[in-house]
Amino acid sequence: MARPVNHLVIEDVSVDFGGIHALTGVSFALESGSIVGLIGPNGAGKSTLLNCISGITRPTRGRIRLDDIILSVLSASSVARHGVGRVFQHPELVTELSVHDNLLVACHRGLDYGLIGELLRLPNVRRQERAAAAKVADVLARLGITDSADKRVGSLPYGHRKLIDLGRALLMDVSFLLLDEPIAGLNDIEVARLGEILLGLRREFGLGILVVEHNMPFVSRLCDRLVVLDLGQLIANGSPAEVLNDARVMASYLGEAADA
Amino acid sequence: MSAAADILRAPRSPTSPGWGGALVGLCLLLACAAPLVVNGYALYLLTLTEIFTLVALGLNFLTGYAGQISLCHAAFFGVGAYATAILTQKAAVPYLVSLFAGALLTSAIGAVVAIPALRLKNIYLAIATLGFGVVLQKIIFEWRSLTGGGGGLALTPPGIAGYDLGATGLYYLTLALTTLGVFGALNVSRGRTGRALLVIKDSEIAAGSLGINASRYKVIAFAISAFYAAVAGGLFAYLVRYINPESFSVGLSISFLSMVVIGGLGTIGGSIVGAAFYVIVPELLRGFKDAPGLVFGLLLVLVMMFMPRGLWGMARRLAGKA
Repeated sequence: MARPVNHLVIEDVSVDFGGIHALTGVSFALESGSIVGLIGPNGAGKSTLLNCISGITRPTRGRIRLDDIILSVLSASSVARHGVGRVFQHPELVTELSVHDNLLVACHRGLDYGLIGELLRLPNVRRQERAAAAKVADVLARLGITDSADKRVGSLPYGHRKLIDLGRALLMDVSFLLLDEPIAGLNDIEVARLGEILLGLRREFGLGILVVEHNMPFVSRLCDRLVVLDLGQLIANGSPAEVLNDARVMASYLGEAADA
Repeated sequence: MSAAADILRAPRSPTSPGWGGALVGLCLLLACAAPLVVNGYALYLLTLTEIFTLVALGLNFLTGYAGQISLCHAAFFGVGAYATAILTQKAAVPYLVSLFAGALLTSAIGAVVAIPALRLKNIYLAIATLGFGVVLQKIIFEWRSLTGGGGGLALTPPGIAGYDLGATGLYYLTLALTTLGVFGALNVSRGRTGRALLVIKDSEIAAGSLGINASRYKVIAFAISAFYAAVAGGLFAYLVRYINPESFSVGLSISFLSMVVIGGLGTIGGSIVGAAFYVIVPELLRGFKDAPGLVFGLLLVLVMMFMPRGLWGMARRLAGKA
């Protein structure tokens, strides 16, 4: 079955913080079904770019669009409603709630009932809440954490929390997923599972995924393409093999990593 | 799990207390039977407890769920009281209609008060709402033609469907509305609004990434909260039958906030227990001839020191459900 192919396009984006140029004229595009790695040394502007795409930071110049929709003028919640999901480096979960309830909050925009209906918990509210709970159960199963559904998030290890945060993005019916250092703090088994989950999402739903990650073996195995930032500028954009052999990349990024 | 049992665990969701439904049913039964056995003063105290429960439920939305502090709830309570009294007394609007209209008006005011909350947090928000409370109280005081100014308003019992609402009638009306309030709060707490508020309290950035518009929900939380306070105010006016601006001072706002914290932030049971504590404990302390206030104050300190999650949090822990 043919899926619609969407494009997330970053056009000449610059961000200045005071006098500091965090990003300068960055352009590239990401289409449905592709997995792109965004790499670069610390301070290269990777997180700033993710913040721009997800509507947390406004570009000083340039724009970001999803097909014909200009995302860079929208609020973070509107960007999310257009199907661009963000998974944070440190999971932003409500630790006092259960895993199930933390996932249920991600069904927010899929629920369509008014406040009066909610106060009275009318039949349509019950029906929608049941449907949302069923979706949550599906995602729990996909992530392999069904057993933890009723546990408080505060009691779970870090790796689990990152999976839950990813689960939230999935529940939002996203077409693009932005991941900020998804494997930091995960053990080898969790890393392997996360890789499989991401590939499964691409295969089944045609998600476009933009992943910021320092672990080179992980990104080069997972990604179709790598985009390299250094000091706020895009210095390479190509297949992992091309990019990792690029002289500028070696000098700026891998050189630094080797020194470290 | 039954809806009644949910009351005892909201908003968290670990294990389900099987005895919860029975306990709630028992409380309701006792509350219904109370007017048959207690004297007039005790009935007054019970009605007052229910009224304060309603305020605490609303304030708990705002403070316990959404993480917003309000020091103007006495003013919302007062606006509800005055609007209900004026509509009923001067415009001859049926009491229940006045009660509802007053609450809608106060909700609108609550939504306006939410505007600074979109920019301010914590103690700064507390001070801003305190300012709002003072302004509203001042407006009530100065608008003499409508409110009677400092002289206050003396009220005669309203009629509902040709029946004069005496102390017992008001008690049952209050019980009915408070019960509705409890179920409304319970439903919202496990619906999308309650969940959205909890996320906003935790992290507005996370809320944004989930497609939750934090500003919109803060306004909703203030409006619901003001609605609850205003209904309570409209009941209070006819419980005491005399209102003046002094009754709705910042001191009362602080008492409301204390009820919520003493009872247990973010829990519905805590709103009920906190209100009961505030009304009933001072009565029990009357034996300490000169010092009931002193003992009450010390009790507040002790509760906060040893039960940081409030009386309800402690009760849950003792029942093994923390």
